[in-house]
Amino acid sequence: MSGTAQTAPASADTTAAPALEASNLAKSFGASRALKGVDLTIHAGEVVALLGENGSGKSTLVKILSGYHEPEPGGSLRMNGVDVPLPVPLGQARTVGLGFVYQDLGLAPNMQVVENLFVGRRVNGAAGSFSRINWGAERERAREIFERYGVDLDPGAQTGRLRPTSQALLAIVRAAEELHDYRRAHERGGGVLVLDEPTVFLPEHEKVFLFDLVRRIVGEGFGVLFVSHDMTAVREIAHRAVVLRDGAKVGDVAVASASDADLIELVSGHRLDRSTIEQATTYGSQAAVETSGEVVLSVRDVRSGRVRGVSFELRAGEILGVAGLLGAGSEDLPYVLFGDAEGSSGEVRLPDWSGDVSELSPARSIGLGMALVPADRKQQGVVPDLPVALNMLSLSLKNFMQGGFLRVDRLIGTANQRTETYDVRPRDASLNVAALSGGNQQKVVLARWLEQGPRVLLLHEPTQGVDVATRHQIYELMRARAAQGVAILWVSTDFDELATVSHRILLCAHGTIAGTLAPPYARDRITSEVYSATARGAGREVTTAP
Amino acid sequence: MTTNVNTPADERPAPSPSGPGGGSRPTAFSRVFNARVAEASMLPIAFALVIVGFGIARPGTFLQWSNFTSIFGLNSTQLVLVMALLIPLTNGDLDLSVAELSGMTGILVGWLNVNHGWAIVPAILVALAVGVLCGAINGWIIVRFDVNPFIVTLAMGSVFDGIAFWLPNQQTIPGISPKLTDWTALHHILGIPLDFWYGIVIMLVLFYVLTFTPFGQRSLFIGQSREVARLSGFRVSSTRFWAFVAAGFIAAISGVINDGILGAATPQNQGNLLLAVYAAAFLGFTTIQPGRFNAIGAGISVYFLAVAVNGMNLLGAQTYIQSLFYGVFLVVAVVASRVINRRRAASAARAAN
Repeated sequence: MSGTAQTAPASADTTAAPALEASNLAKSFGASRALKGVDLTIHAGEVVALLGENGSGKSTLVKILSGYHEPEPGGSLRMNGVDVPLPVPLGQARTVGLGFVYQDLGLAPNMQVVENLFVGRRVNGAAGSFSRINWGAERERAREIFERYGVDLDPGAQTGRLRPTSQALLAIVRAAEELHDYRRAHERGGGVLVLDEPTVFLPEHEKVFLFDLVRRIVGEGFGVLFVSHDMTAVREIAHRAVVLRDGAKVGDVAVASASDADLIELVSGHRLDRSTIEQATTYGSQAAVETSGEVVLSVRDVRSGRVRGVSFELRAGEILGVAGLLGAGSEDLPYVLFGDAEGSSGEVRLPDWSGDVSELSPARSIGLGMALVPADRKQQGVVPDLPVALNMLSLSLKNFMQGGFLRVDRLIGTANQRTETYDVRPRDASLNVAALSGGNQQKVVLARWLEQGPRVLLLHEPTQGVDVATRHQIYELMRARAAQGVAILWVSTDFDELATVSHRILLCAHGTIAGTLAPPYARDRITSEVYSATARGAGREVTTAP
Repeated sequence: MTTNVNTPADERPAPSPSGPGGGSRPTAFSRVFNARVAEASMLPIAFALVIVGFGIARPGTFLQWSNFTSIFGLNSTQLVLVMALLIPLTNGDLDLSVAELSGMTGILVGWLNVNHGWAIVPAILVALAVGVLCGAINGWIIVRFDVNPFIVTLAMGSVFDGIAFWLPNQQTIPGISPKLTDWTALHHILGIPLDFWYGIVIMLVLFYVLTFTPFGQRSLFIGQSREVARLSGFRVSSTRFWAFVAAGFIAAISGVINDGILGAATPQNQGNLLLAVYAAAFLGFTTIQPGRFNAIGAGISVYFLAVAVNGMNLLGAQTYIQSLFYGVFLVVAVVASRVINRRRAASAARAAN
């Protein structure tokens, strides 16, 4: 049962009606075509991997199936040969035979395993609301279900205390059971389980448990749509891979007959050259030497959660891109370096300070000349219901104090000038931030930190949810700052963006820096290098696992 | 092909003594006893210590059975009222209007029965219906307009309070039908007044609803994570609404029982009563089924607080001790419930690593 073999397709029944048959699914957001008429077929007993980089239309497709998005007219969906009217009713996907497990799993951590497992049975209306739940029988039933799927879970355990892998198994078993409920209710077969990046946050050597569970579910005749960046996982359990790029289907291949390089080429549109990465590393370090600025941030063996030993140097005037797939640890790096993560370790050197990263806190980091622009603008970036002026100048309010009073007039006046400087529209700093477009909100966030005159700027997905025109303004703004000597660490999963702005690009995989990529930069090259670095790293970790 | 996950020992924690957790494994028993049962039985042990302590200090008066039966009978208003809080609290909602609503419905019974000459039974039925209606108003405003229940119920409580003083023109209404007193304070079972047993019945119903019904499960999920509940297909707003309706109904019952105990309806400030029931609800959170608002724990807590106050009175404390005591205990209980949740989160994080 180790992580080998098992790649041969099971007896997928291709004669009967497919478990899922979608055709011509399309969706536009404004002028951009996120999904350009995609067909998808999943047979009973078949695992289909859905591959594609960020922005390829993968998540749009999944969200159409879950009912979150309404597809454009002309698309159709048949489940087990029966037409399903689109859009799928939101929150009711299970009633048409679709079960979903998302990355966050949707479990209530303070409740017991059995309570989470059967939460779907508590939905039905008023009639049965006060009928007795026989917990003894429910626990017994839960044990039988876990036994049938070969997972060892205690129905009485508190869900939040389980290991992440066990929680993922529980969420998948729950979704499969709900599909069984669907079969019973409609007295028919069929049912498709959609697994949306379920392996991202799991330790490599425990993924096999998940694969075994998926195989058992497939053995019960369900179809599985496996959405993942994880080539090893795809190779392990998927029979067929459907690849999306720029909203269109660019490949539909049997996994057994495709090499890693073939799949990566389909995803990125770029032929992988195995030697490039070694060349890249040497060439990259030469490039780094050429960068003239002094080192302003030196990081050695920083660890925290998914960050498993990261070392690099960042120079004044440099934009250093960090490219990694979701779960690679790169998404946590800016917060760890800003002192906003617990249980971190590793050495950090700044011009005025050096020590362990655990000694840093956001307040201290700001004092040392660091600034962090977080990806989650709504939660961490701005206060939407306060005016632009306060959001923009909240770090320097003391400059506007006079005789113990805040001079709001000066505050608004200065902020109005800044709306010119940073081209925030409309040019009215007294408006609430919520009234601005996403792009202008992001300019407010950037302005707040740039006003501090930081020496090190940590950016995490700084153009997420930002329109194309503003995006390029932000690139220009950052280039200008770098030219003035600011050092910028730019973490993003938008590889087009990294190719555009970076002086140097680090590849991040499995929590470490897998290499430095040499110029020239292009999206497809970065994508193929990141995927291959991730695939190689996974193999290494599997073989060294106890 | 065997595919059992090698679960570490830490992953099979001890089922709690709560309904769904009863299925324990003998192997885990000793550890269960150390951790969870110790936590769950902290309050009952404190309760026993309080009784022993006051018993030693005032053996002649405190330890009389008659003292206990009177404590049981006189505090059943609180026993019922704390049950009104539990369903909204499980949903993650505060209802601060229950004490005033209880007072107002009590006045309403007296006003209809004495001032307007209604028979006692219709007067009670109208009061219960008004309780349901007031709960529905609370719930409707909160759910329909998505406003903070804390503020809405605080304000509605003030409205109920105003009506309670307005109806009887700020006077006590004496002479409520003696039948009501007969059927609450005067008839006894096992030497304890009937009103106590009403409270016990309501407590058991709440225990059943919260532990053994789909409704209770929905409330738990909603209180823990609105997002998980919504994605599970629950009608979150509807469940929250009915919780406020139930709270209004139970609060009205406590108002009626209070009339029976006093034999009269008296408009009064309900601040102490509200603090007492909140202190009991949060103390209850720490015991029996720790980490959940639970009926049995809340019921025990009501009498823990009542016995402690009674003992202090016998030691010669003045009546203001109640304000002091309930206030302090509410803070202690809230901190304790927070500590329990933190500890659970911390042990969950340890288990996950």
